[in-house]
Amino acid sequence: MTFAVALGLLFFLMRAAPGDPLFRLSADRPISPQEIKVLRARYGLDRPVGEQLGAFVGGLLRGDLGVSIEHGRPVTALLAERLPATMLLGGSVLLLNFTLGLWLGVRQAVRHGRREDRWLTTASLTGYAMPSFWLGLVLAWLVGVEWRLLPAAGMQDPLMDADAGWLARVGDILRHLILPTATMSIVSIAATMRYQRAAMLEVLRLPYIVTARSKGLSERLVTWRHGWRNALFPVITLFGLWLPILVSGSVFVEAVFAWPGLGSLAANAVGSRDYPLLMGASLLVAALVVVAGFLTDVAYALLDPRVRLG
Amino acid sequence: MTPWTPRIAIAAVLACAVVTTVGAQANRGRGTSIVIVTGGQATLPIPTLMEGAEASVGNLDVADQLFLRLADLGPKLLTAGDSHFVPALARSWTRRDSVTLAFDLDSRARWHDGTPVTARDVVFTITRAKNPTVAPRLSELLRQIASVTAEGPGRVVFRFVQPYAEQLYDATFHVAPLPSHLLDSISPTEMRRSAYVTRPIGSGAYRWVRNVPGQFVELAAVQSFFLGTPKIGRVILRTAADASARLNLLLSGQADAMDIIPPPPENLRRVAADSTLRLISVPSSTVGYLLFNQRDPKNRARPHPVLADIRVRRAITLGLDRRQLVQAVFGTQAVVPYGPVSQMLWIRHGAPEPEAPNVSEARRLLAATGWGDSDGDGTLDREGRPLRLLLSLPNTSGVRRQMALLVQEQLRRIGIQIEIQQLEFPIWQERRTAGDFDVDFSSVSQDASPSGLTQSWACTGGNNVAGYCDRTVDSLMTEAIVGRGDPAETWIDAVRQIEEGAPAAFIYAPTFAYAVNRRYRAVTISPQSSWITLRKWSVSQDQESHRGK
Repeated sequence: MTFAVALGLLFFLMRAAPGDPLFRLSADRPISPQEIKVLRARYGLDRPVGEQLGAFVGGLLRGDLGVSIEHGRPVTALLAERLPATMLLGGSVLLLNFTLGLWLGVRQAVRHGRREDRWLTTASLTGYAMPSFWLGLVLAWLVGVEWRLLPAAGMQDPLMDADAGWLARVGDILRHLILPTATMSIVSIAATMRYQRAAMLEVLRLPYIVTARSKGLSERLVTWRHGWRNALFPVITLFGLWLPILVSGSVFVEAVFAWPGLGSLAANAVGSRDYPLLMGASLLVAALVVVAGFLTDVAYALLDPRVRLG
Repeated sequence: MTPWTPRIAIAAVLACAVVTTVGAQANRGRGTSIVIVTGGQATLPIPTLMEGAEASVGNLDVADQLFLRLADLGPKLLTAGDSHFVPALARSWTRRDSVTLAFDLDSRARWHDGTPVTARDVVFTITRAKNPTVAPRLSELLRQIASVTAEGPGRVVFRFVQPYAEQLYDATFHVAPLPSHLLDSISPTEMRRSAYVTRPIGSGAYRWVRNVPGQFVELAAVQSFFLGTPKIGRVILRTAADASARLNLLLSGQADAMDIIPPPPENLRRVAADSTLRLISVPSSTVGYLLFNQRDPKNRARPHPVLADIRVRRAITLGLDRRQLVQAVFGTQAVVPYGPVSQMLWIRHGAPEPEAPNVSEARRLLAATGWGDSDGDGTLDREGRPLRLLLSLPNTSGVRRQMALLVQEQLRRIGIQIEIQQLEFPIWQERRTAGDFDVDFSSVSQDASPSGLTQSWACTGGNNVAGYCDRTVDSLMTEAIVGRGDPAETWIDAVRQIEEGAPAAFIYAPTFAYAVNRRYRAVTISPQSSWITLRKWSVSQDQESHRGK
């Protein structure tokens, strides 16, 4: 149902927005009315909107999202090509976010008020305040151009030997992954740390933690088994919110590092009014929202016996 | 968290360091390769299919490596006449009469699968290109070709609708032949979904190797290429849509060449400071201008209340210090054009110098049309209405955004209030096409042929959105295209007439700066197609042996 409503809204809102997708094509050179007419027919834009929606839904049921106006290729193929890069980048950011971010957040809460907490608070606030596009530009310039420690852009070295082994190929992708991941993670880890710290501080004040300590349990056990488990809920909510954003929200980072992901593809589709591609990308994000919601519910149920799925 | 956590973390970091080092070692150097970074990736670099969005620079760049035309434009880029072209697939051509041209194909020419290139391939391609449902843009460009016939396998004859100066240009430039033996069994409408487009076979100096979507296209030299084996063995056309990413790839050594270093001039200085790179200036096909709407945007049947008067349009042009505008935004990388003539168009030679700014004359012209500053607020007014104009431009163009601010300031000094309206590109384009603007900051990329000027400056031109119409200009342009006199002089007369009518203030005609690593020799770049001469480049012997395979 959520999906159907999102689909209908997207379809009509896109067409209600001013700007014709075919006028975009005359960006550099004049385009004749005859050419516009042929292209309009090719992409089905000469049909009534209701008919276009019918054709889109029919195609969707067959797994065909149409042909991109900007790229001239099937939308499903374009999304399939770009999704792995996005998943890799987004997955790496999530992994760092929910390992390092959580660990640091808990560490801060446990050392509340001490020098380490204050230092990490300053660091996290600094990270959170940093715009990712600016950070990306600085890292690319400093690490990639000035120091030449890591690739400044791209996802793989096109000059890699044809007979290079899998380890070399993985290594090559990892080298390219470091800067965009760092750019996105510095901001997102800071947010996760803040959430985790606040939630953990809340939990550590509760009576059952005092009871656990009075039973003689070690501080590590109290913190991680009894405290952390209950301090995870706000962070799981955050995870549910992050998942779709990581697909659609990495536009700047993808652009700065020429990362061949979905974010820049979708952003360009907005600018060019590429309806089929925009619909495809939006549906993917809508699907991720649904998946993220489901995963969040499952995680709640796993952590809290009072929550049941169904 | 266990005591093992820090150890696991350290182990993970070390493992990553080892793997990334292995990854870095796998590239043993560039050898005879070149990595070119560009803004757009080739999605469909196939002649006859590059229509609509596929008529992109990314596609054209790759198509020019894969496919050879019958003949190429010469170094002067002269499109009129039969003598300034360079043989390619056709080794020679002869004129039979004023409407018939015969081309003799080079018998050594081969498709990448080894099949000879024949006249049948040319006939097949032109027939497809003239089909308006397959190729609406091409069919329009080739409308003057009446027929194409094969006379045996090695000769192809073009017949034209009428005598005109650019017959050879039309026959050779717009579309390169396709292999009919691979494509004639595929219907024109199915071609873009066929296996051929994923692994095209052409007749050019380079053959298709692979496409890594969103990242790069790889081509390899054809060792048996009949015009000489290319010395650069491997070409990578790497994509980065963002200009700063392209620049970083170049400056970090990940790319050897880059087309069009974007403004601001600081970018040029950064490239120039790198001793491994050489900057090459190339005349561009772009021209930017303030287009004055001569029809009322609210009612196209009426003349524009302010800009229909030529004196106001001329006053605006004279009130602008266009050289200063160009200098501020482009540095030395652009000039003020005379009329709508980019630096690439051959008719620019012999054109007069653009008019210098003349603020007092601008004020006099405005006063003569009744505009005066009655309330002393600095803005001219007439019958109680201030002289205020809306300047529309797309928010995607940094150059035009910067210039618009300078234009606003310069015109404020002569009492004209400019309100800048930045619009999202599709919206700007839609309004422009509908004639919904006062002044439009336009920028066009021109064909090599001046006949493309009719699109914007002829009364019935498809891109004439401002209601400009001068019958003298129309007849001069028609005379230049189909007349028997010297087309160059007639074109300059037409451009002079356009300048005098002041339908626009022509602001900038840039020179594009390309950057190429110094290890490449015999480097030339054609304004018509960035990398078309790549097959003639070579690699410095020293560096080749030092660096690679």
